[in-house]
Amino acid sequence: MAAAGISGANPSLQGFLRSRVGKGLLALILPLAALFLWQASGTNGAVAGGALPTPDRVWKAWLVWAFDKPGPMTLSPYVGNWMEAIAFSAMRVAKGFGLAVLVGVPLGILIGWSRLAASMVDPTIQWLRPVPITAWLPISIAIFGISDFGAVFLITIGAFYPIVINTTQGARDVDKNWIRAALMMGANQWDILRRVVLPAALPSIFTGLRIGLGIGWTAVIVSEMVAVKSGLGYVLWDAYYVGRMDIVIADMVSIGLFGFLSDWAIVHLEHWVLKWRRMQNFNQ
Amino acid sequence: MGTISLQSVSKTYGGARAVVALDNVDFEVAEGEFVALLGPSGCGKSTLLNLVAGFEPLSEGKLLFDNQPVARPGPDRGVVFQEASLLPWLNVWENVVFGPKVQKIARSDYELRAREILRIVGLEQFHEALPVQLSGGMRQRVGIARALVMEPRALLMDEPFGALDAQTRLSMQALLLEVWQNLKTTVLFVTHDIDEAILLADRICVMTARPGRITRTIPISLRRPRSIDDLTTADFIRFKAMIMAEMRGSGH
Repeated sequence: MAAAGISGANPSLQGFLRSRVGKGLLALILPLAALFLWQASGTNGAVAGGALPTPDRVWKAWLVWAFDKPGPMTLSPYVGNWMEAIAFSAMRVAKGFGLAVLVGVPLGILIGWSRLAASMVDPTIQWLRPVPITAWLPISIAIFGISDFGAVFLITIGAFYPIVINTTQGARDVDKNWIRAALMMGANQWDILRRVVLPAALPSIFTGLRIGLGIGWTAVIVSEMVAVKSGLGYVLWDAYYVGRMDIVIADMVSIGLFGFLSDWAIVHLEHWVLKWRRMQNFNQ
Repeated sequence: MGTISLQSVSKTYGGARAVVALDNVDFEVAEGEFVALLGPSGCGKSTLLNLVAGFEPLSEGKLLFDNQPVARPGPDRGVVFQEASLLPWLNVWENVVFGPKVQKIARSDYELRAREILRIVGLEQFHEALPVQLSGGMRQRVGIARALVMEPRALLMDEPFGALDAQTRLSMQALLLEVWQNLKTTVLFVTHDIDEAILLADRICVMTARPGRITRTIPISLRRPRSIDDLTTADFIRFKAMIMAEMRGSGH
């Protein structure tokens, strides 16, 4: 509808703006304008009185960070190891998120399905939930030290809440007649959970997965800034200390890019798994 | 096989203000009999069916199916729901064989029968279709097929054609008559449609609301096999006039 407002009465332009290419171009307007203003407001490659570099210098720093090979005399730590930083962070997110799914989905199904489980577990989850992941940092470091698992632990905690809560909601909202139909056909409790409640809850579960993965990326950056010595979060903080704001910004863009890509992957998985749901929405 | 017996059955829904859905109901269905429960919405006819299905516990009285007290739902009583209530993530075939599958019956023991039933209900071309791709009538055909595939001793049908358009309803009634003519399973059929009740049933139990009771039982002596042509015969109209008078009389 917004496209209609911009293009006024020209129907062919409206059609173009609703096409895939048109939407892609629309999405680029804002970032390109920001880049342009940022570049134009700088002098000698610096803006804000030298506090920040201009985009062209960030781009050059990233090229070195991503593709150059460090020689024997290289002093800068940001040469040719961009992929390595990404890999460290992404692996931690994958581990922490995977753990959160393994615990959160079955637990959410159980809480949504069984009143006993709900009364026992749900209040504890609701009490612990307001504690932000940053508040878990001291405990994480005390237990795991400066180690990989400290970061994984924080990511798991962060991703766990939205996954368990959305799964619970989905399991609670299952159509009563689906369960009755399954019982009538001779299904036992385990069949009901696996073959009715779980598939019926999948749309909610995917909502939880998307939110959880987003929090996972926040958690990995926070924990790497404090509790580990590798990954995008570590580079971000380290580069700030040595005054390499070009690397800081390149790092931020990388976080955004990989957070976006992992979300895109989940959305496409959802699309594929929930084919029945998509067709239902389409027909209504 | 397939006898239903309710003795002084009451069902009260709890809460701040208790609602009596069924009040002291005595009711019998014989083996192979087709009985329609006819009444306005809220008269407890669906509650009665849910009790027989084992979906809800009774408050008082005794409910026997084949002389055994009903404790839980089971494949011996196939239920056909009002809106079909198919599992939307399973295709037609998967919905129909869900029962045999969870009962761990070997595929070779149900595959042929499932295929045959899907052919009878006219869905042999639609094994792979998802429920959302089917019309309301086709969905209900799947609902009937998944109940029949379990070879239940009784079919419990809760206003199965109530949500369909008139045309589709007629063809579904014709289908049900045909299927029942061959199977002779006991059927308990809940409806608020007088024509439907007369056309299908051996016996109609008229129910009234607040509290839910069976006020009258009317045997329908129209000869079998029946078809939708019976809807316009003089005998049919006579039954209809009688039931309408009955329902007006009890409708305050």
